Amino acid sequence: MDLLHFGSYTFSSRLILGTGKFSNSTVMLDAVRSSGAQLVTVALRRFNREQAEDDLFGPLSAIKGITLMPNTSGASTASEAVRAAHIARELSGSPFIKVEIHPNPQHLMPDPIETFEASRILAKEGFLVMPYIAADPVLAKRLEEVGCASVMPLGSAIGSGQGLATSEMLNIIIRESGIPVIVDAGLRSPSEAAHAMEMGCEAVLVNSAVAVAGNPPAMAEAFAEAVVAGRKAFRSGLMQKSGSAIATSPLTSFLGTL
Amino acid sequence: MSQMITIELNGEQQPFPPGSSVSDLLAIIGSDGKSVAVVVNEQIIRPENRLSHLLQEGDRVELLMFAGGG
Repeated sequence: MDLLHFGSYTFSSRLILGTGKFSNSTVMLDAVRSSGAQLVTVALRRFNREQAEDDLFGPLSAIKGITLMPNTSGASTASEAVRAAHIARELSGSPFIKVEIHPNPQHLMPDPIETFEASRILAKEGFLVMPYIAADPVLAKRLEEVGCASVMPLGSAIGSGQGLATSEMLNIIIRESGIPVIVDAGLRSPSEAAHAMEMGCEAVLVNSAVAVAGNPPAMAEAFAEAVVAGRKAFRSGLMQKSGSAIATSPLTSFLGTL
Repeated sequence: MSQMITIELNGEQQPFPPGSSVSDLLAIIGSDGKSVAVVVNEQIIRPENRLSHLLQEGDRVELLMFAGGG
């Protein structure tokens, strides 16, 4: 069976789903269920007694086979991210942490220096560290060397729906990486998720494209199917591209006299 | 009310009865505590220590939970 491995964890689904931006938690939970995702991201926020029903831990934990991957969104330095990771682990009971440090809300690009430092510390502490990074092959390699469980380069800016704008760099990262590469951010359509999988990504992380779709649960299912198709295509060996036509039908011995 | 102590709860000054434990605080604000992480003066207070950990004047308490995020 084609399983995704992180530490002692194995997953049959290669679609990781984010839980932000949904119109309400009922729709979000329906989307999680129909996506078949087994790794689901959540964010850490201050408890608000007026909105206590917004808590997601209970309802998400009740879905069978779900492992939570908290993110460190909101942190703008390595030390804030490390602190957030410790608190998140208390709540989730999961060693997974998505290191996400983006100091500028205008573009949400990840800070490579703070991300590297936080990831290094957390990997040493035994977390399964999944850093959200720009599509930088050098940084990806450095993160692998300090013990990250995966690297999660962006396809394009968070929530932009610009798809795989970084595909050239993603190809290099995938070629060079000894750890799973997961495209995180920017995907808009299932075909882009399939493309990322055909390129050799081990998984994709999708949030906005599902959350703001007209029918989020159905879109979650569409992404799940695309990820399966893309993975199957990658494992089946895609044909080589050719600069000229190569006939699929015989061009000779056709009706003798013609 | 002069007997109350003041703690900083999620950035806001709040009066609480002296001798309140972390568990008391959670009960006062209406949380069952199951899905809330408690941090007092940057120290995580684990569930098994919430009953015995008493709050002091000036403590900085952060209560955190999971919300939607990508």
